[in-house]
Amino acid sequence: MAGDRAVGRVTRLLGIIEYLETQGATDFAELAAHFGVSAAQIEKDVTLLWLSGRPGYSHEDLIDFDGFAFDDKVADLTNAQGLRQVSYSPREAAALIGALSALVATGAAPDAASSALGKLTTVVGSTGVEVVSATEVDPAIRGSLDESIATRHAVELTYVDAHQRRSVRVVEPHRLVAIDGAGYLECYCLRADDYRTLRLDRIESATAVDVMVTHPPAEKLGFSLDAGFAATVRVARAGRWAVEDLPSVELETTDAEVTARFPVADADWAAGRLLAVAPHLRSVEPQELRDALAERAANVLAVHGD
Amino acid sequence: MAVSPEERLLNLIIALMHTRVRMTKDDIRASVAGYDRVDDSADEATAKKRKATFERMFERDKDTLRRLGIPVVTVRSQAHGDDIGYRIDPSQATLPPIDFTPSESAVVALAADYWRGAALGADASLAWVKASSRMAHGQAEELPFATAQARLSDAAAALVEAIQLRQAVTFEYASASSGDATRTVQPWRILLSGGADYLVAFDVDREAQRTFRLSRVTSTVKLTGLPGAYEIPTHFPGGLKPAGDTQGEAIVALRPEAGHALRNAGSHAGADGDWDLVTVPYVHRDDLRGQVLALGGAARIVEPQDLRDEVATYAAAALEVAHGRG
Repeated sequence: MAGDRAVGRVTRLLGIIEYLETQGATDFAELAAHFGVSAAQIEKDVTLLWLSGRPGYSHEDLIDFDGFAFDDKVADLTNAQGLRQVSYSPREAAALIGALSALVATGAAPDAASSALGKLTTVVGSTGVEVVSATEVDPAIRGSLDESIATRHAVELTYVDAHQRRSVRVVEPHRLVAIDGAGYLECYCLRADDYRTLRLDRIESATAVDVMVTHPPAEKLGFSLDAGFAATVRVARAGRWAVEDLPSVELETTDAEVTARFPVADADWAAGRLLAVAPHLRSVEPQELRDALAERAANVLAVHGD
Repeated sequence: MAVSPEERLLNLIIALMHTRVRMTKDDIRASVAGYDRVDDSADEATAKKRKATFERMFERDKDTLRRLGIPVVTVRSQAHGDDIGYRIDPSQATLPPIDFTPSESAVVALAADYWRGAALGADASLAWVKASSRMAHGQAEELPFATAQARLSDAAAALVEAIQLRQAVTFEYASASSGDATRTVQPWRILLSGGADYLVAFDVDREAQRTFRLSRVTSTVKLTGLPGAYEIPTHFPGGLKPAGDTQGEAIVALRPEAGHALRNAGSHAGADGDWDLVTVPYVHRDDLRGQVLALGGAARIVEPQDLRDEVATYAAAALEVAHGRG
């Protein structure tokens, strides 16, 4: 929509004015890097600003720049006609505050996220988006992870995995990440001798170990959460809840049923989720996931049969 | 030379900021560069057409100013009949000053990128352009923190706007307890709760506060009410928690070294041969049944009997589907 383009450009034009008012004369290259456009675009923007002004549009009514500086590809604002950057629109405020809230809710965001959120809401007021239950990450554990990451030391963790198995392992922590609403620790696990992405709310204890971090961080975010295969599950609408919040799920809904397509990183874990709505399942693809489902179901029956 | 829409908008903003009292539509058309002025030599039909074109353009521009976050004040003057004038109050329109530390700047930048490509993603990027207008380039710090981009549903984005405008909405909702129905509600709050998003709203038909899971909204969210038609309460009669269910207590037998989440949630209640017994209180019966099923034989419901039977029935149903007999 043409209107959207105009909103984007006017926001940047006002941004350039505001930047120059606060930072002083700035070359086009730095403005380009700051606003994520080309230097040629900045030159066009400055030219447009130079032509704008108050009704009358004589020289003293116009936004003005230093002409010599312009020839040197430097924007030096000499008269802004009182223009400044404008306030956040309601949608913008809600988008920014909502995204910050979502990051805080994962328990993985640095303290600066909460303080930035506080500053924004103080100024903008409530936007209608609230975090009700942040992921339960023990502040003491979080503190020792932060400390170990900062000092590049390994840390010994007690971890309960997705199958509720507890293990003790020494890992080299790299960074905290937020993926699909949950907080994780990205690390190199010395026990598995591979990269791991561990959920923060499943870490029961974390103790610094006197071993320096030697492995470089993984190239890719959430490395060990990568999908092994794609699954397609058809389920009656009553069973929708079990599939609707699977990571990266795509849902197709008809009157009677829901078809969910999602990547599977851990077939046993996905099978466990499907068991929760077993009476509503219509079909499960591929065979790999059916096998995992059959095995779990048979084990459950073995201990619950009379 | 034709004036671009951006230049016309800037001229309009500057004019409305500098006007002493107000500018009427005629003032704007006559003096703001970028609008098509009245041409006295034109015949009546052409003049009428041009006026209509101007009116449409001005309405669009006013809407664009609103989307930019600029409040345009309407000023009526009795001295001039009842015609409407407009102005922008610079103190209301200016970006409020916020002093972000370098690490706060870095995390705000990440947040602005969090919903990229999703509904509200464009709005978040624009908010970042505004916030960063006052930050020196390269000020943001490198953080040991990263995010994968998340998706916010179209429903959530539409509801955020409805809350801002205090406007009732209508959508199709697949309720777990009462089936599918069209719901008309006055949205109050969006709740983010560990990966699941909820809407707290006043249900107009049921005349009560209700909590909706956003992922169960199965249609587009339509704005159906008038803007500003209701007040959002500061105190919520039903609280701000996703609704609870029945409560109960179960005894669960667990294999050694298994079921740590259940162990942490419950209390030790002795042993049964190789199995550890744990008393587990539960809010949602579905949750406990699901957890025991997911443990795939490493957990066994001891009591209540009906929950134990349910678990067995579920496992049997899963076997049927897994063997292609669903």
